[in-house]
Amino acid sequence: MKQIIHIFAKDSRHFWPEIVVSLAAMAAFTWTYPHHWTRNNLRGGLYLSTSIDWELSASILTLLVPVSWWLLITRVVHGESLVGDRQFWLTRPYEWKKLLGAKVLFLLVYLYLPLVIVKLVLLVQAGFHPLSYIPGLLFSLLLLTALLVMPLLAVATVTSNFARMALTAVGIILCLVAILALSAVRGTSVSIPYSDRLSIPLTVCVCVAAITLQYAARRLWLSRLLLIGFPVATFVLGLVSPGQAMMERDYPSITAKQGTPIQFALLEDSIHQVMVGAGRNEKEVGVSVPLEAYGVADGYMMMPTHVRVSIEAANGIRWTSPWQEMYNARYLPGPQESSVNFEMKRSIFESVRAMPVILHLTFTFTQLRAGRSRRVPMPASDFPVADFGICSPQLDWGGSQQIIGVACRSALRQPRLTYVEALWSDDTCGSTATEPNNGVQGAGWTGNLDDDPAEFGISSVWTTGLDLSNSLRDTGEKGRPQKPRYLCPGTPLTFTQYDPVRQIQSDSTIRDFHFPR
Amino acid sequence: MNKAIYTQGLTKKYSRTAALSDLSITVPEGAIYALVGANGAGKTTMIKLLMNIFRPTSGHARVLDIDSRELAGKHFNRIGYVSENQEMPEWMTVATLLDYCRPFYPKWDGALEQQLVRQLDLPLKRKLKHLSRGMRMKAAFASTLAYRPSLIILDEPFSGLDPLVRDELIEGLLDRAPETTIFLSSHDLGDIESFASHVGFLEQGRLLFSEEMSVLSDRFREVTITLDHPLQLPEKIPATWLQPEASEFVIRFVDSNYQGDATARELAAMFPAARDISQTSMSLRAIFLAIAKSGRGQSQSAGERTVA
Repeated sequence: MKQIIHIFAKDSRHFWPEIVVSLAAMAAFTWTYPHHWTRNNLRGGLYLSTSIDWELSASILTLLVPVSWWLLITRVVHGESLVGDRQFWLTRPYEWKKLLGAKVLFLLVYLYLPLVIVKLVLLVQAGFHPLSYIPGLLFSLLLLTALLVMPLLAVATVTSNFARMALTAVGIILCLVAILALSAVRGTSVSIPYSDRLSIPLTVCVCVAAITLQYAARRLWLSRLLLIGFPVATFVLGLVSPGQAMMERDYPSITAKQGTPIQFALLEDSIHQVMVGAGRNEKEVGVSVPLEAYGVADGYMMMPTHVRVSIEAANGIRWTSPWQEMYNARYLPGPQESSVNFEMKRSIFESVRAMPVILHLTFTFTQLRAGRSRRVPMPASDFPVADFGICSPQLDWGGSQQIIGVACRSALRQPRLTYVEALWSDDTCGSTATEPNNGVQGAGWTGNLDDDPAEFGISSVWTTGLDLSNSLRDTGEKGRPQKPRYLCPGTPLTFTQYDPVRQIQSDSTIRDFHFPR
Repeated sequence: MNKAIYTQGLTKKYSRTAALSDLSITVPEGAIYALVGANGAGKTTMIKLLMNIFRPTSGHARVLDIDSRELAGKHFNRIGYVSENQEMPEWMTVATLLDYCRPFYPKWDGALEQQLVRQLDLPLKRKLKHLSRGMRMKAAFASTLAYRPSLIILDEPFSGLDPLVRDELIEGLLDRAPETTIFLSSHDLGDIESFASHVGFLEQGRLLFSEEMSVLSDRFREVTITLDHPLQLPEKIPATWLQPEASEFVIRFVDSNYQGDATARELAAMFPAARDISQTSMSLRAIFLAIAKSGRGQSQSAGERTVA
């Protein structure tokens, strides 16, 4: 321990400028970030000119803080560089475990401790009781370690100076761009189900292995091979992995006994038509098929995650798309308009466009059940919503003190997937708090399905503007065709949390389907 | 005799290039061993293998009876290392460097540290990056000698230093010599001739010989044979003759295996018409020049190498 403290003290003396920069960035972040949820700054999703600076400052600092950490980590590791054969410390009685321990202590004191303070301060400022979120805080630190600190630490151990570290970072970014470009060209979805769940622990293991190898034995090329080989291997595995088998495992097909939890029908009328447009390149075309979703049982919601399209033509041509991700579609009970979009090879499209085809759509769904609903009369100021967060009315930016929206903040993570309903008023609300008898239904989804107690980020507070439908009304006036609707004090806001029940795969077949000519 | 350093078949290759080939030496405890050779001969590679900075491709080395590949951490309490191209913590002052090094060594001798600071005239408050090359070396020496290591390994310690600094460093080093083993590399023979007890000569990664300085000095003689009648060099020249040359009445060569009276008798028998056979001892520099110019390794294929 004596040697750990001794090296730590030396590093603290040597790297005080980097420490000051990092602490200053975190302090500035703590000061500016709460303006995210300060009610007077956020008005109807638009920001007043006076608040732009705060928003910009917070965004810049959100970038600056990790950059200052990058500097801090790199400099402290390079203080006893593990690359090269001329370093003074190599032939001094350093014990590698104590050297590594000193570096870890340095990060605990100058990175983790201030970060914990930042997170606690932000929680308190947002109105949350920090002691209720200790497990989440620890989990958020774990995420930070896995996704940021460990990779930075690992790369620092295989580079000799900051310039090389920066070059490596540029190289990594270019590789990521190349991988994304390659996957786009291949037309495959790189996001294999649960790959995140596997890749994060694997990333940690690889980083720990590389760091340990370097500190214990300075096996530079083996460490570099590990750090380069892992992402390459992951990408190659992603390309060659049996996507269908994984889908079958994670999203089993439903049996006849289980019944169909959702059905689709082709929407064909003057408004809804099959659309064909340009693909991501000349050899592909993009197809959009309008559908009507129905048959979802009361109290449930179906959330599609992936779709795969198969085409069978009368001339014997068969084509199946890779699994493609679907975003933002959520089907509640009752008929609901939707569409499925996919890309296909232009040559196949040209050979089947003139004839009727059978269109098979295979969806993977997460089925969710409505949980507890919380009904809150719209107050004039901040109000807590249990298991959700703290919400604030958003005022009309014209200065009329009318409420035109709701912004919410939650601790450590976005809220669990929640359906929010409200009644809009076309007219401005009176001075007395009255619940309107008539109003326009507004609804929207917010949150996500993650089970984790925290999400990756510097801040411990997540802010969300509730995006409720029908927030604007048509006026028919020229120049100002739409005006905002209002949420009057007292009008009920309903928050219904949805919980996942099962993951399934479901097919829909559209016979006699015609592409537009 | 205890061995401070022992290597057997030590080899280091970079791809197909051998920086060091099949090197076997023994450095007894208490010796001042000078490893000499031209730039690029493999001296630094050898030292870095000993210090576990590099890992050998084959063969092995033991340093203070520890496998060099195991050298780490507390082993360096007993080993001091100074190199001409070592990257020092330039941001530290001399005092900070000494303060920083002190707690690492249980046997750090504060009085010796003070003595070295005075003896080497070290400016304690100046940062290493602001020191001259000579001063930096002095600071490195002080931070190494102050813990009284059992073995001091020096890589070209006097390279590029002015004579005054060089003498100061040698003096400081020799003060420690009775209690330690010193292994140093140099391409400047004049530096080491006055104090080395053992010498090894590396050429292109191969050890040409490794032996005690006194034995080497005794073994090498410049022989001059003066003749009454002009005579050619014999057809079969002994392998131990380096740079043989003959003018009308004089034959000269360097005998690398001079055995005193025995050799004198052999020469007299070989050249019965010789008017005079004289031999003179050679400086280390002259010996190395003779070896280098002769272009013969005269080395054995393995094991301890000596010029036959």
